[in-house]
Amino acid sequence: MNAPLYKFGVFGDEISLIVAFLIGIGFGFFLERAGFGSSKKLVAQFYLTDLSVFKVMFTAIVTAMLGLFWLSWIGFVDLSQVYLNPTYLMPQIVGGLVLGIGFAIGGYCPGTSCVAAATGKLDGVAYLLGVIFGIFVFGAMFPLLKSFFYATPMGNITLPQLLHVPYGFIVFAVVLMAVGGFAGAEWVEKKMAAKS
Amino acid sequence: MHEVTITRHNIQIDPVMHIWEWQIPVYLFLGGLVAGMMMIGGYFLLSGRHKTSRSMCYTMPLLGIVFLSLGMFALFLDLEHKLYVWRLYTTFQPTSPMSWGSWILLLVYPALLATILLKIHEHIPFFLKSRLSFLMKLSSRISDLPNSYRIIGIVNMALGAVLGMYTGILLSALGARPLWNSSILWFLFVISGLSAAAAFVHLIAQEKFERELLAKADNGFLIIELFVIVLFLVGLLSSTAAHQNAAKLLLIGEYAAPFWVFVVGIGIVIPLVVQSLAVTHKVKHTPIAPLLVIGGGIVLRFIIVAAGQQSSWLLTPQNNPVITVLH
Amino acid sequence: MSDVSAAILTNQPHSNPAEAVVKKPQPYSNPYLAGIGLGLVLLAAFVVMGRGLGASGAFSSLVAMGVQSTVPTHATTNEFYAEYLADTSKSPLKDWLVFEVLGVFVGGFLSGMLAHRVNVTTERGPRISVTGRLAFAFLGGALMGFGAKLARGCTSGQALTGGALLNVGSWAFMMMVFGGAYAVAYFIRRQWK
Repeated sequence: MNAPLYKFGVFGDEISLIVAFLIGIGFGFFLERAGFGSSKKLVAQFYLTDLSVFKVMFTAIVTAMLGLFWLSWIGFVDLSQVYLNPTYLMPQIVGGLVLGIGFAIGGYCPGTSCVAAATGKLDGVAYLLGVIFGIFVFGAMFPLLKSFFYATPMGNITLPQLLHVPYGFIVFAVVLMAVGGFAGAEWVEKKMAAKS
Repeated sequence: MHEVTITRHNIQIDPVMHIWEWQIPVYLFLGGLVAGMMMIGGYFLLSGRHKTSRSMCYTMPLLGIVFLSLGMFALFLDLEHKLYVWRLYTTFQPTSPMSWGSWILLLVYPALLATILLKIHEHIPFFLKSRLSFLMKLSSRISDLPNSYRIIGIVNMALGAVLGMYTGILLSALGARPLWNSSILWFLFVISGLSAAAAFVHLIAQEKFERELLAKADNGFLIIELFVIVLFLVGLLSSTAAHQNAAKLLLIGEYAAPFWVFVVGIGIVIPLVVQSLAVTHKVKHTPIAPLLVIGGGIVLRFIIVAAGQQSSWLLTPQNNPVITVLH
Repeated sequence: MSDVSAAILTNQPHSNPAEAVVKKPQPYSNPYLAGIGLGLVLLAAFVVMGRGLGASGAFSSLVAMGVQSTVPTHATTNEFYAEYLADTSKSPLKDWLVFEVLGVFVGGFLSGMLAHRVNVTTERGPRISVTGRLAFAFLGGALMGFGAKLARGCTSGQALTGGALLNVGSWAFMMMVFGGAYAVAYFIRRQWK
């Protein structure tokens, strides 16, 4: 048996939706466990009083990255079959900036606002309505944005491919960076706690 | 909206039937809900709950009449020849579930009204009392009769059970659609009606004892419903190829995702978990669980009606999910 | 009639001591443990489905369906919506991300319920009104929705998923998200503190 299971035809489209639901339950569960159903907890990241967002996100990235690295190394997962979002550098940089501003103002990101709404936070509901409105505006403006949306295409490209270094090397570098980041985050939190 | 012609000269039934729209599942759900409410209400009367002033005994039949009328209105909208609806009551066809159903529906109303009459003299607003004095007299006469509560309770439970069963048998009797050819479909609808009714009454009950009792009962109904769904599918899978294909519509075919996610997942398993924790006082009672149960009950009727119309004896790619999936 | 007298009449215990106590919200999990859990869910998505997690895409499907049912001509001519409406044989809501996000709601609710963290509130700082906070949340959401579509994904679809896949665009995106948020955080601190 080879993975990704869906890509190798282990189950069909209908079953994939049931899988989606189950994976979503896990996703929502751990987001809520981490406290990401609370906008105050999320934005504390940007005031440096609680760096959970950074810690949770990078632990998750490192876990999934290492898991995928090992599973492909032993030949279980075919990495080329895992969907990679194509890179369009400029729109992604601008989009990221707009999104970050939205994050700080709204207090959530789309995934966490679902968790917030599910646990009764009305600001989460307002935020979700905002997301829908924002997407609608983007859709309506798409003819104007189209050329920028497709600007600076780089194709399906990963950091190891970009830098021409082995995959394992970047994995190792990201782990090191994360561990350093975690130590830094703990230090900053302590410092901020002492200040207040 | 054309009447079903069972012989194959109706273009709307081959290869898939597409005659029944939203009206039928809505009616089946409301019918099942009222059936469940009658059984629960009847049980409450039998067990002496009517002595409690805020019991749901009297609210249930009142709402039952409203829901059943809404359901029958939906059914009426589906009829091709609306003017001739009265003709159903000029005959009784013992071999036709439709005929049984129309007569059962006619018996259900008096039973519900009788339940309301039992104690109407205590509940009616005072300014209506003098104007409706004949009703008051009738009401107190009925409630003074020995055993009147027990008898009306039993009648309610029996008619509720028959009403619930009939909604399933109605579909099972349609031999042309393999998904519905299950000897257990009636029980699935009865138990789903009971769970929706328990959830609904739990949602509106004013008395804590009744709320908790119904939450516990609902958990029981939901567990049974899960078993019945498994038996329903196993029964189809161990039958002919046409039945197996019908089951596959729900297992891997077009209706698999909504069925497992909305009916089994969000409609049964999750409320069961939430409600089990709530009745053991591990978490707060929320209206979420009963609302999910009711939603699941509605989706179940929609999926069974839609998938049933899709299922067929003809093994075309269109209704053979195995072929569709492999495409 | 009060609860107590009704209860005495029916011979039922009028209140269960366990329920009389309002359960306190439990503290959140250790961020590293929650992160590992999240990472394993993401890994499961990679291994089982060959794709990562997402969130904003589900709302795009919702918007696409809404536009399609109100102004069908606009939906079919607009390239953005066309992507979500490509498969005409099924509803645009029968989509992987839509079902995944549905699960997110359920999973979030289950976790919150187990930890007694479900209650209807508006989270805000002490110096902002409820309406003000809701307006900011809507505005932030709108910026997020717009930005997520421009960047082809949000924090889940780009930062988390693409981050684990070492996707170039995702890492650039992630840096910009933090940059953008830190840049404006100071100016809107009244909302939170």
